[in-house]
Amino acid sequence: MTRIFAAMFGFRSIVYKEFLHIQRDPTTLIFALMTPMVQLMLFGYAINFDVRHISTVVVDMDKSRESREYVQKLQNTEYLTVTHYVATPTEAQKMLSRGDARVAIVIPPDFSMLYGTSTRPTVHVMVDGSDSQVATPARAAFQSAPSAAGGVNAGQGVDARITVLFNPQMRTQVYTIPGLVGVILQLITVSLTAFSLVRERENGSLEQLMVSPVGKLGLILGKLLPYSLLATFEFVTVLTIGHFLFNVPIHGSVVLLFVLSVPFIVAALSMGLVISTFAQNQAQALQMTMLTVMPSILLSGYIAPRDTLPGFLLVISDLLPVTFYMQIIRGIIVRGAGFTDLLAPISSLIVISFVLLAAATIRFRKSVE
Amino acid sequence: MAEPTMPAIELNLLTKRFGDTTAVDALSFAVHKGTIFGFLGPNGSGKSTCIRMLCGLLEPTSGSATVNGFDIVRESESVKRSIGYMNQSFSLYRDLTVDENLSFFGGIYGLRGEQLQRRKADVVELVGIGRYLTRQSGKLSGGWRQRLALAVALLHEPEVVFLDEPTAGIDPVARRDLWDLLFSLAGAGKTLFVTTHYMDEAERCNEIAYIYLAKLMVRGTPQELKRLPELSPPGTRRVSVACVKPAMALGVLKSLPFVQDATLVEAEIHLLVEATSKDQDVVDALEIAGLRAEGIREIEPSLEDVFVTVTRNLEKGAKR
Repeated sequence: MTRIFAAMFGFRSIVYKEFLHIQRDPTTLIFALMTPMVQLMLFGYAINFDVRHISTVVVDMDKSRESREYVQKLQNTEYLTVTHYVATPTEAQKMLSRGDARVAIVIPPDFSMLYGTSTRPTVHVMVDGSDSQVATPARAAFQSAPSAAGGVNAGQGVDARITVLFNPQMRTQVYTIPGLVGVILQLITVSLTAFSLVRERENGSLEQLMVSPVGKLGLILGKLLPYSLLATFEFVTVLTIGHFLFNVPIHGSVVLLFVLSVPFIVAALSMGLVISTFAQNQAQALQMTMLTVMPSILLSGYIAPRDTLPGFLLVISDLLPVTFYMQIIRGIIVRGAGFTDLLAPISSLIVISFVLLAAATIRFRKSVE
Repeated sequence: MAEPTMPAIELNLLTKRFGDTTAVDALSFAVHKGTIFGFLGPNGSGKSTCIRMLCGLLEPTSGSATVNGFDIVRESESVKRSIGYMNQSFSLYRDLTVDENLSFFGGIYGLRGEQLQRRKADVVELVGIGRYLTRQSGKLSGGWRQRLALAVALLHEPEVVFLDEPTAGIDPVARRDLWDLLFSLAGAGKTLFVTTHYMDEAERCNEIAYIYLAKLMVRGTPQELKRLPELSPPGTRRVSVACVKPAMALGVLKSLPFVQDATLVEAEIHLLVEATSKDQDVVDALEIAGLRAEGIREIEPSLEDVFVTVTRNLEKGAKR
């Protein structure tokens, strides 16, 4: 009994002291309590494999009442939403490789003539197979399952010939591995740089540097260069492993991919640097880094398609550099997209990386003064 | 007698305010070349803020200062090139070896190639750290770390070196060695601007400035400060009493009406007594308490007396 008492000696004082510590460091407490809530929101909203309203391009060469009705019936399944009309199948295919649409429907000129006869009209459908979570429901729209609206079968009376483009076997790795390259690349660069300034501040060496004639630009770029080399090495490694070990074919230009990885790495490094200027100690830097990881995986389109995100999460998704890099790397590797096909995500990525770099520079200047 | 030259450091009503608080209040003084200047004051009195301004890290709110003739605001880059800086906490890279730290800091001061090697060899010899060159600096003892920090501060041959509590937390032998180094540097013409809380170190300075609550209280050589009139108010004298059980005796002597101040120094009791009192009064008072006095002698005020008196006088003035 006395031994237990001796072992527990000081218990109350320790509890009291721990509460004081918690109270003195509210930042850590807030992060510890907020993180699970943020995770719940992200997992709850972002992981939605129930993909609906897939963007669709239509080539209507018949332009009849019947063809319009057919398109309407397809839309009534809610799987598809027609976003574009173009004149030729070539243009439609281009839209798919750009990522502007996921499904292309080509309605032949004899559609209305054959509709309702024993020779069913043939409709050619091209589905973007680079994301199997999109491709599967897209195909479902053309099956003869009854639609939600009106119980009319969209597929009845029409012979839909479906071609899966880009990833015909619909292998999961073909679209997860390229996405993973982006996620890993961001994780490693952010976590490497997030500590760079905090560490210097904690051990006092930042002050020793500031009394020296070292320039602020020399300091910031000198810190970033070694980490960008590490990030580049990591990029090449992950890509090589993905290509040879997981058998992911690279359809587009490796050089283009390499070049477009530069603004992404700049953006990720700047993000880490911004964290480094806000964090008071290394523990906080770690917490903040973890906070960027979760949305980068869940909101970037890596796990679930962005189409399913509710509005406010879509805004966050639009602010993440990895979102646009994901579109670029999947475009190049899976769909063989070229520079002009990817203008939209490329310009977004460049804008974001400039904004982040500017934020990092301003924050950095402030925190060393 | 040295020819009259430009002072190494000159402050002219240098002031720094953070919001409502004044951290440094209108400091004006000059530090001459080749001297060891002791910058003293309690923690929070504004010493570090002042040094940070003089090193070009902080802009003053008003007033001005020059270091090596360079204006600390307009020519802060030239100031940085001409000064060395050694912090109270070890602020080099612990995971780098002694040699790597020297190479890195030499590099950011623009030293390259043969010049860098020569300067490194010079400072390594000066502080005597040659046998630890390949050791990670985090694994050095406190005294050797501070020597390395001093070596780094001297790499680019600065004329002025700022040392912010260079001996805090190191053992007495290392402390003595470091001061021997500082003397030889001053002998070689360097100007050393040192902060310390150790009175024996303050005694070793050529000149001292004591600041309290952001203001300059007193300034002068240690000898001049000890002769300040407020230290020996008219009608008082200072004596040192040697006796058995001095800690007990201190309580007895403090309660005597003619004793104005009493403190224990090196097992003796230093008293500020009224000049009319006699040594025999002290002996008698101790005997009544059952204690025996072994000797009483007249003494000069110490530097500690200077700072304590100046600070207490100001506090009394503030209360009134």
